Amino acid sequence: MNRRKFVALAGVGSGLLIFPSILYLSSPSLRKYAGELIKEEFHYLKLAPGGVEQYIEDYFNASANNMLTNLKWKSYYYLGIKAENSNQIFELVKYYLLSTDFFIHRMDESRIVNYLGLYSPYKSPVPNPYSFVLYPEI
Amino acid sequence: MKYDQYDLIITGTGFASTFFLKKYLEKNKGKKKILVLERGQFFPHAERLKIKRGEISNFKGIQEHWEDTVVNKNQEKKWPFTTGFGGSSSCWWGCTPRFMPSDFQMNTLFGIEKDWPVSYTDLEPYYEETEKLMSVSGPDETPFPRNGKYPLPPHRFTAVDHLMHQTYGNQYISQPTARASRAVNGRNACMANSTCDVCPVNAKFTIENSGMDVYADQQVEIIYGAQVFSLETRGNLAKKVNYVKDGKDYEIAGEIIVLGANPIFNSNILLNSGDNNPLTGKGFGEQLGMQVLIYLDQMKNIGGSTWVNANGYMLYDGVHRKDFAACLIETNNAPYYIRLERGKWLNMASFRMIFEDLPMESNYITNSPDKLVPVINFNGRSDYTRRGIENMKNKLPGLLSCLPVEKLKYLDPFPNEGHILGGTRMGHDAKDSVVDKHLIHHQYRNVFVLGSGAFTTFSASNPTLTLAALSLYTADHSF
Repeated sequence: MNRRKFVALAGVGSGLLIFPSILYLSSPSLRKYAGELIKEEFHYLKLAPGGVEQYIEDYFNASANNMLTNLKWKSYYYLGIKAENSNQIFELVKYYLLSTDFFIHRMDESRIVNYLGLYSPYKSPVPNPYSFVLYPEI
Repeated sequence: MKYDQYDLIITGTGFASTFFLKKYLEKNKGKKKILVLERGQFFPHAERLKIKRGEISNFKGIQEHWEDTVVNKNQEKKWPFTTGFGGSSSCWWGCTPRFMPSDFQMNTLFGIEKDWPVSYTDLEPYYEETEKLMSVSGPDETPFPRNGKYPLPPHRFTAVDHLMHQTYGNQYISQPTARASRAVNGRNACMANSTCDVCPVNAKFTIENSGMDVYADQQVEIIYGAQVFSLETRGNLAKKVNYVKDGKDYEIAGEIIVLGANPIFNSNILLNSGDNNPLTGKGFGEQLGMQVLIYLDQMKNIGGSTWVNANGYMLYDGVHRKDFAACLIETNNAPYYIRLERGKWLNMASFRMIFEDLPMESNYITNSPDKLVPVINFNGRSDYTRRGIENMKNKLPGLLSCLPVEKLKYLDPFPNEGHILGGTRMGHDAKDSVVDKHLIHHQYRNVFVLGSGAFTTFSASNPTLTLAALSLYTADHSF
């Protein structure tokens, strides 16, 4: 049994039983598991310090912020679930990338990736990553 | 209200009403008394944008939610629409392909349903006029007959579009669209933000930015917050329009009455008026849309300049329509369909496949004890459409053989396509339809029933251009 599966069974499993639910409600530190998922997914990119954490704060503040959400992301991390196997992780990770300058720099892996604020076509400085705005020569 | 009686009373301010009024004003040079009753309010684009951006707006909460205005019996099927000034122009996505000539002759060509009482040739000049009014962007060559150039040049192809166009010629074209490819008439050029219901840069045509100014005409009086619920009829004429404003019932007399609400509410008004045509409210429905994600190998789908970059007609016309539905391909320039595998982030194309459906009697609108609230009874899709989906799945891999395809992923059909059709269909007489070729009610001869509710059959193409052209056509031939 590897560490992940062990923690999944012994850690998260017992945690669910032992800790009162109010702790999960009031513990912003649990969001770190969602951030870890992003860092693992993009381990090959140079993510600017603090950017992922700020994105996670913004993402969860803009969406559901409750006990179940926190538990879900902790479980995803410890169970080793990847973006390819979960729509919710896929959405979280995808919107992180859309919320950075990664596409503005034409996906240049050698550059530091900066978080620019939650992606929104109404507010974001990031254009549609497919569009002529970034690829006028096509 | 200025008068006790009006020459013309119009319900609604969407595409159907606005294009009708445009032509009516052109044809009637004398002074007319015209009343427009709009159930919603004027909700400016600038204020819609503020709300989308999370900014403070005094207009917040002004918009009705569609589910609060109807009883929807089938909760799996959705029918979103927008009320208020400009109608669905405030939420549409600006796709303006013409119908194919065959769409008007489904019975003659394929033995399916009925032919329209108007032909493509009848509508052709009005298509052209509508395209000018909307400043449509489009290509020189199209699969439907067309004279001259579109008002604006076409949008830019993506890398995928280039290959598909090389392979299929005029069966795969830059989409004709009211999302401007160049700044025009106070509208900006589309920036491919791909969130067109409220355009972030005001590039798509709306009634508000149209410059048509029909509601500013001195002859026109507009009342907001006035929901029409029935007509008072006598013999073969409608005499008065009944409406509610601020919770109170009103009536107003009119010589000519134009129903320009959406198909659900046009049906409701007629049913509340005692219209005993058994076809009123029947044959209601819409097209079916589903998304196909195309995973590409070593190819980025980049460079497109708008939301729907292209239309594919390879699965549209042909003898297959005797057996199964036409399919129009929309290639979407969607930012939310990126990939996460390293190096393949933009190696993805997303096609929306739009299938025609049949106007079935089992799908219908009824009125309810609440005169303001119609009931939507939708009991399912036709086998004709289902067979069209199966054919598409069989044919699509071959059609995409010019692309380096890794795999295809078919998503579930959408719960709505945003194209509400039928309920007051047009035909030759009251035995086969509700309105005639000029959209005049077969019984109430001073009542026009406009919009896509009048479509005899549903086509696979987006309906707005055609319903706007029909409004120009009927006003031109009736006054």
